[in-house]
Amino acid sequence: MSVAARQARANVTTIGSWEGDDVSVSAVEAALSELRRHEQRAAVRTSVLTLVAVVPDDGAASAALDVVYDLGARHPSRTIVLVVEADDDSDDDSGGGAGEDGGEPGDRQHSGIDAAASVHVVEHGGRAVCFEDVVLRVRGTARHHLDSVIEPFAIPDLPLVVWLPARLPAPGDPLLAVADRIVVDSRAVAGAGGPGGERSSVLPRIQALARRLPVTDLSWTRLAPWRSLLAGLFEGPVYSPFLREIEEVEVVGNYGPRYLLGGWVSQRLRVPVTRVRLAPADHVSITVTAVHRHRTGVFKVARHGAERVIHSSIEIDGGPSVSQALRMRHQWPALALGDALTRMGRDEVYCEALEGALRLRAVA
Amino acid sequence: MTTDNPLVEPSADRVAPPAVLVVFGASGDLTSRKLMPAIEQLAVRRLLPAAFAVVGVARTEMDDDDFRERMRTTVEKMGGGGDEAKHVWDAFAGSGAFRYVAGDYADPSTYEQLKGVLDELDRDRGTGGNRLYYLATPPATFPVIAEHLGAEGLNTPRRDDAFVRVVIEKPFGHDQASAAELDEVVHRSFEESQVYRIDHYLGKETVQNVLALRFANAIFEPVWNRRYVDHVQVTVAESLGVGHRGSFYEQAGALRDIVQNHVMQVLALTMMEPPATFDPDAIRDEKVKALRAVTPFGRQDVVTDVVRGQYRAGWVEGEEVLSYRQEEGVHPHSLRETYVAMKLHVDNWRWAGVPFYVRTGKRLPKRVTEVAMTFKDVPHLPFASEQAEGLEPDALVLRIQPDEGITLRFGAKVPGQAFRVRSVSMDFFYGAAFLEEPPEAYERLLLDALVGDPTLFIRSDEVAQAWRICDPLLAAWEEDDVPLARYESGTWGPAEAHELLARDGRRWRRP
Repeated sequence: MSVAARQARANVTTIGSWEGDDVSVSAVEAALSELRRHEQRAAVRTSVLTLVAVVPDDGAASAALDVVYDLGARHPSRTIVLVVEADDDSDDDSGGGAGEDGGEPGDRQHSGIDAAASVHVVEHGGRAVCFEDVVLRVRGTARHHLDSVIEPFAIPDLPLVVWLPARLPAPGDPLLAVADRIVVDSRAVAGAGGPGGERSSVLPRIQALARRLPVTDLSWTRLAPWRSLLAGLFEGPVYSPFLREIEEVEVVGNYGPRYLLGGWVSQRLRVPVTRVRLAPADHVSITVTAVHRHRTGVFKVARHGAERVIHSSIEIDGGPSVSQALRMRHQWPALALGDALTRMGRDEVYCEALEGALRLRAVA
Repeated sequence: MTTDNPLVEPSADRVAPPAVLVVFGASGDLTSRKLMPAIEQLAVRRLLPAAFAVVGVARTEMDDDDFRERMRTTVEKMGGGGDEAKHVWDAFAGSGAFRYVAGDYADPSTYEQLKGVLDELDRDRGTGGNRLYYLATPPATFPVIAEHLGAEGLNTPRRDDAFVRVVIEKPFGHDQASAAELDEVVHRSFEESQVYRIDHYLGKETVQNVLALRFANAIFEPVWNRRYVDHVQVTVAESLGVGHRGSFYEQAGALRDIVQNHVMQVLALTMMEPPATFDPDAIRDEKVKALRAVTPFGRQDVVTDVVRGQYRAGWVEGEEVLSYRQEEGVHPHSLRETYVAMKLHVDNWRWAGVPFYVRTGKRLPKRVTEVAMTFKDVPHLPFASEQAEGLEPDALVLRIQPDEGITLRFGAKVPGQAFRVRSVSMDFFYGAAFLEEPPEAYERLLLDALVGDPTLFIRSDEVAQAWRICDPLLAAWEEDDVPLARYESGTWGPAEAHELLARDGRRWRRP
């Protein structure tokens, strides 16, 4: 999407921008401060956090910014998009812009940064609220020291959230040392086209990561409707007794979601893994069968097809039966990211779900 | 409150338990303007369970489908939730979750019919005997409805694990005696713990934020007392006139309409001591204690410390407006107040000697609600007087609406060669700081009532304390002891109100 189209959709106005190729971090910082001086007169700013997105190319950078723009008034105060191309760029270097005039040997090793900074305002409740983004294309060995690139841009004393839209960090990634929270997407990683073995390593790797610092898995965030609807089905004097005797749990869906959801239910309800059945499907559904006073109850939360509707229902043998259909909200990526950014601290329930998912995988 | 359902996540939003919401006054304005949009939003946000049902009760003849469709269209007209909401209403339509009982509130057969519908819903939808009665009806009907619910046995839960609650809208009486009478009638059918008195002001995020600001920070509370605070000003200003509510307003007036409830709630949160815990009664106990410490107005105080006013014609926000006495439904020689200003004294260790100035009115220059604390002067100013010409006392302002947030006013050096200090304001805007969207007040309060959290509802002793403060004014005005000061629309009230502060060497802030 073009910048203009993006802005029109989100009711955003850019009030200043700056670009520079092969510049130093301090030059970008200085330019940003200068832009902010204008901003301070133009709009309100109350800082909440710094968001750092790390992406492999311009297309992904643009996609990440789209998501941030979609947050509208719910945006973080400052977003830094780091475009870091993969390591094996051993062929021609024509796109880089570096080294053509210098001509020194080992140009590809030359660390350089191309930067574009902009300051925007978004209308919110009749007031202009300010946010800014910086896109930094990092070349050469600086790619291995991204912590030193983003430190100068982090807003003082506020959380720094690192968002990796489609990959997991390597254990030694220096970004982990400066991040207060890391946002990943287990489904995007598992579906990124790696070999099957890689897919199966996603959840253990996230578990290791979550032991180190708070993790938000957007795939887990997207499951929130299923989780809250299922929890709601067991509320009240008529339905809550069914929680005491769970017969069977069936979860269908993509790899990550079905394991996470199955793991969550089995852990929270202490259901033996042998009573949890998982199966692949395009959309997520969960069915819990339970018994109370010799009556069977089927509690189900399901998305049936491409239509963005979730059905939840309860069927009790010879007893009440209720159902509800809810439209899922649009703009999923922005919604999930926005939700992730409002949470601080370790998500214990997610960690339990991971634990359960890995136990399920062990018996699969 | 909530069950021990292990699937409920502590950090997630609370979901209402299965229940039937019974709305009395289902064809009325409050139901269509506030309750139904709140229900729609709660459903869209997945905070209502599948086993949820609404029963409307009113005199108008309608069947279940008429009622539901009527509610659906009114919410839509008011800019409801669109595509997402469509599914909510379709689901209500398909499931029989929306029912309607037509009948007179004074007729026992209305309640028999209601009982039948409730039993059906319990059987078909598993609502488990949970009921929330919402009295969206004129106050005169409260005793009638409460009594009949009691007579039909609809006032108590049929099983230990179920709840029956009743939500009552203001006004809670028109003076202390009538409030006590109302309580007496309501308490004949319901325990106080079942009664949820709603003041939508308490559902506003920023009113609750007063508690967060005071009790989650270490830096404000130490100066929140008579040692540092010179005086406090509470302003609840409206730019609107009485509109079509003239005949209602003739009975109520600003004191009953705003001061007795909204102002007293804001005052109580500002004055109260820190509660030991955040549980509903701990907070409400402290609020009552604070209100109890307000010195009652003596006969002479009503004359010297209170100003009642009424708007004349004038200009507000660029438009010419009528005088109160020219408004529809208003007596041409009405003495009803549309403005009240008063000076309150609080007799406790924290506030002794700190006056609380309160003002509220209609047809003031703009709509604004705020609490402003003005701090004492520094003990000694080391600058020459001409160096500090622009320096005002420090102030901390809690802006409740419309620009929710906090303003801190303090002195700073004016840039330049000379050393001059001037007051500057540092603004914090609540809406600009957080990534979350706050829910509407009714949405929040309706969910609280369903979940069973009475913190933001008003307890009977709070109502009594608020009336205790207001009653002497009503009595004096009834006897016409106090002159009515008239003010031009679009001004900050009558000259007498300015006099009230000027006498103490102070002046009203411009909010």
